[in-house]
Amino acid sequence: MRGTLLYIGQRLVLIAITTVLVSSIVFVLLHQIPGNAFLNETRTSPESLAADLRHYGLDKPLGTQYVNWVSGVLHGNLGESLVNRGVMITPLLVREASVSATVGFFALLVTVGLGLILGVIAALRQNTWADYVASSAAVVGYSVPSFVIGIFFLLIFGHYFFEWTQGTVFYNVGWGDWTQIPVPAIALGLPYASYVARLTRASMLETIRTDYVRTAWAKGLKARIVVLRHALRNALIPVVTILGPLITGIITGSVVIENIFGIPGLGKEFVTSILARDYNIVIGVFTFYAALVGLANLTVDVIYPALDPRIRY
Amino acid sequence: MAQAAPVAQPDVELTYEIPEQVTLLSDAWRRIRRNRLALVGGGVIIVLLIVALISMVWTPYPTWLQAVGPTYQPPSPAHPLGLDNAGRDILSRIMGGALITVQVGIGSAIIVSLIGIPLGLLAGFYRGKVDTAISFVINIWYGIPDLLVALILVFVLSDALHLIPRGVLVIVIAFSLTRWMDVARLVRGQALALREREFVEAARMAGARDYALLVRHIFPNALGPIIVQATFAIPAAVLFEAFLSFLGLGLPPPTPSWGAMASDGYHGMDFAPHIVLAPTIALSITLMAFNWLGDGLRDAFDPRMRR
Amino acid sequence: MTAVDGISFEIDRGEIVGIVGESGSGKTMTALSLLRLIPEPGRITGGRILYGEKDIAQMTDEEIREFRGNEVAMIFQDPMTSLNPVLRVGFQVEEAMAAHARFTRQQSRDRVLPMLQRVRIPAAKERVRDYPHQFSGGMRQRAMIAMGVSNEPSLLIADEPTTALDVTVQASIIELLRDLSRELRASVILITHNMALVASLCNRVIVMYAGRIVEEGPTRAIFKNPQHPYTWSLLRSMPRVDEVEKERLISIKGLPPDLGRMPPGCKFHPRCKFKVDRCLTEEPPLGEVDPGQLARCWVLMKNIQNPEAEAQR
Repeated sequence: MRGTLLYIGQRLVLIAITTVLVSSIVFVLLHQIPGNAFLNETRTSPESLAADLRHYGLDKPLGTQYVNWVSGVLHGNLGESLVNRGVMITPLLVREASVSATVGFFALLVTVGLGLILGVIAALRQNTWADYVASSAAVVGYSVPSFVIGIFFLLIFGHYFFEWTQGTVFYNVGWGDWTQIPVPAIALGLPYASYVARLTRASMLETIRTDYVRTAWAKGLKARIVVLRHALRNALIPVVTILGPLITGIITGSVVIENIFGIPGLGKEFVTSILARDYNIVIGVFTFYAALVGLANLTVDVIYPALDPRIRY
Repeated sequence: MAQAAPVAQPDVELTYEIPEQVTLLSDAWRRIRRNRLALVGGGVIIVLLIVALISMVWTPYPTWLQAVGPTYQPPSPAHPLGLDNAGRDILSRIMGGALITVQVGIGSAIIVSLIGIPLGLLAGFYRGKVDTAISFVINIWYGIPDLLVALILVFVLSDALHLIPRGVLVIVIAFSLTRWMDVARLVRGQALALREREFVEAARMAGARDYALLVRHIFPNALGPIIVQATFAIPAAVLFEAFLSFLGLGLPPPTPSWGAMASDGYHGMDFAPHIVLAPTIALSITLMAFNWLGDGLRDAFDPRMRR
Repeated sequence: MTAVDGISFEIDRGEIVGIVGESGSGKTMTALSLLRLIPEPGRITGGRILYGEKDIAQMTDEEIREFRGNEVAMIFQDPMTSLNPVLRVGFQVEEAMAAHARFTRQQSRDRVLPMLQRVRIPAAKERVRDYPHQFSGGMRQRAMIAMGVSNEPSLLIADEPTTALDVTVQASIIELLRDLSRELRASVILITHNMALVASLCNRVIVMYAGRIVEEGPTRAIFKNPQHPYTWSLLRSMPRVDEVEKERLISIKGLPPDLGRMPPGCKFHPRCKFKVDRCLTEEPPLGEVDPGQLARCWVLMKNIQNPEAEAQR
């Protein structure tokens, strides 16, 4: 237990370092041209530009700016929006991150839940129609990007459902109540679900032929127990290893899904800020993402030994 | 003995049928069936290449020409895929988009290989500090959302620094700079394994220089897996371009990028779904074709890599 | 293809029967069929497997489940792969009991430790919560045996229980099996290719070749007067410590026949040194040669004057 805590502590420090390091690259890249954010604004005088630069500390040398920024990040302060003067970035992003996390969580649920169910069914009913349907769906699904699925869903649930049901049951773009969660979450999770299904199927096909599963049958265990406790428990191990990349994929996918479905999360903020050249927010969102990916990977690494006792930290 | 009743009495004509398992023929049949998807994928890719080539010299209408007919016009004999929100011929733009897709995909596969192969070879062959350094970068990179870094890179390189004009090239470079790790990691593993093999040892004994060992002995033997990995970079790059252009951060209008076309059609989806359907379907089929071909190649080159 | 054909034998309570034969002779298939555990896509195409009054081949899925591990338990060849790597050893033993109505849940839990002690796992109390990878090969096989005997089955099938183990461990495992069978008054089917093991443990021997029983009888009789040339060759191919005069070991030339290409007539004739013309065309029946001893041969070893000399030719 102490070992685990120590390990988690070490990893958290590492995540902090990686986050700052990666965000630094973005920081340096974006600060090559000071004041770029203000160039496309109509200005009355050069003095106002100088005042703006001074307000944001952009008149200082890059080194000083960087030190200020890093110390800010370490104190949880990501600075002030360049476009909307007075808007502090940290609380803004925390609010938006909670929205993104909600969508992301349900997308992950779709990915893992649907993927596992389809994969297990395909494996248990190998070479039957159920297997063919599940396998074909998987092989098509993992090639259709989430934004294409998003567009199709919008067309089906937002437009055609509206027509078919004369406006009683349909999906409405935006964010506000829980009915607006499933459509984007499924669109985001579906491509990865087919990936999980493929992997689960292959993995299950391997474990149901192992000696220990034969032992489980020989003991007279119920079929449900043999499949879930003996075959699936072991088949999950390789599936868990891809959860890290999966979460990175969902985060990347959420950028476009949030824009399609009008969800006020980090992804929408990211694109809006890039287009508006609000660098401070872009860097802030990126810092959030780097930390999120790090934490997700850590979670996976902590779950992993619980699934496979042969693995130690 | 036998003081109690007999407990088991398998009195019987027991006959167990074991259907023919894996003979050469059935294995070959399975392989053909497995590769059927790869064949379909290859066919689609050939069509894509042909369309891209044709679009270089001819499209029904110029891809940028607006108002060749009423805006949002649904498919008609004159315009089989209809017209978009600016009255441009969608079929022409899909053809032009095929060219963009081919450029992005193949360009990325080449540059990813150009970066990844040498770094992987160095790390795997020399091991030690070189390996530690390269592996460190690779591992850090796996922990970040790389496509978002690439997105920022596109923006910085073209808009902020004005180094490379916004276009296919900057997208290919940004993608490759963030995605060479897959190839590098694979080549590193191959080089690590191959450097211990007898034929490399023999060449070393015969006095071959490191360079000759790497280029003549290790690289050719790792080529199969490298091609597989590079093939998988193509759909990833194509998707990245579509993703960027859809968000309005990729190729500038009026470039007929499929992603940008989907974005154009997105707002008129309620009354003119054909605008958004054409590019998204084209994109999905292309991605599928490359993934299927990649899977088939992976199985063909190295059955052990199958998942 | 037919792997096993026309096997017919009986086992009495408390008896230890050895089934011997080369790999591929159908020993394991016969044993697995007693629990209806034949791996896909194999199946039982005909015949009855009577256990007391019940026909195993006709049982419903629930009946066979309750039967497995309860009436008849099985111990597999490779203890390294036969235990589930992600479950604790104690739990895997408990599970075997909990699956059946014989013991309540609480009883199952309480019996785990005594069972592990009974199979002589050292420091069993500390090792109940270990995972299989923390056990040595011999200990794992003991755990498998504990699992097998936990429901006090009346028949225990041991499929090459010592083949995967160190020679030093083999003897103690065999001793354990013998003691347990005596204490529980359980019958044992020992499947092996090791004649020495059979000699030391079994009351009766069944010799299999190419999916058929070629000889069957009391151990003493078989070892003293083997009547089938295959049995005779098997015994002569094994070095014996108790033989005073040094005889040349005899090897059986050739390979057992392919399941798909069975020779006509006696299945052993291509490798038989004593064959006559009839062996090539007509398969001999399993006939009684002595009280209690049966052999499937037209010639029989007792009719051969000087087998050693004949075999050396």
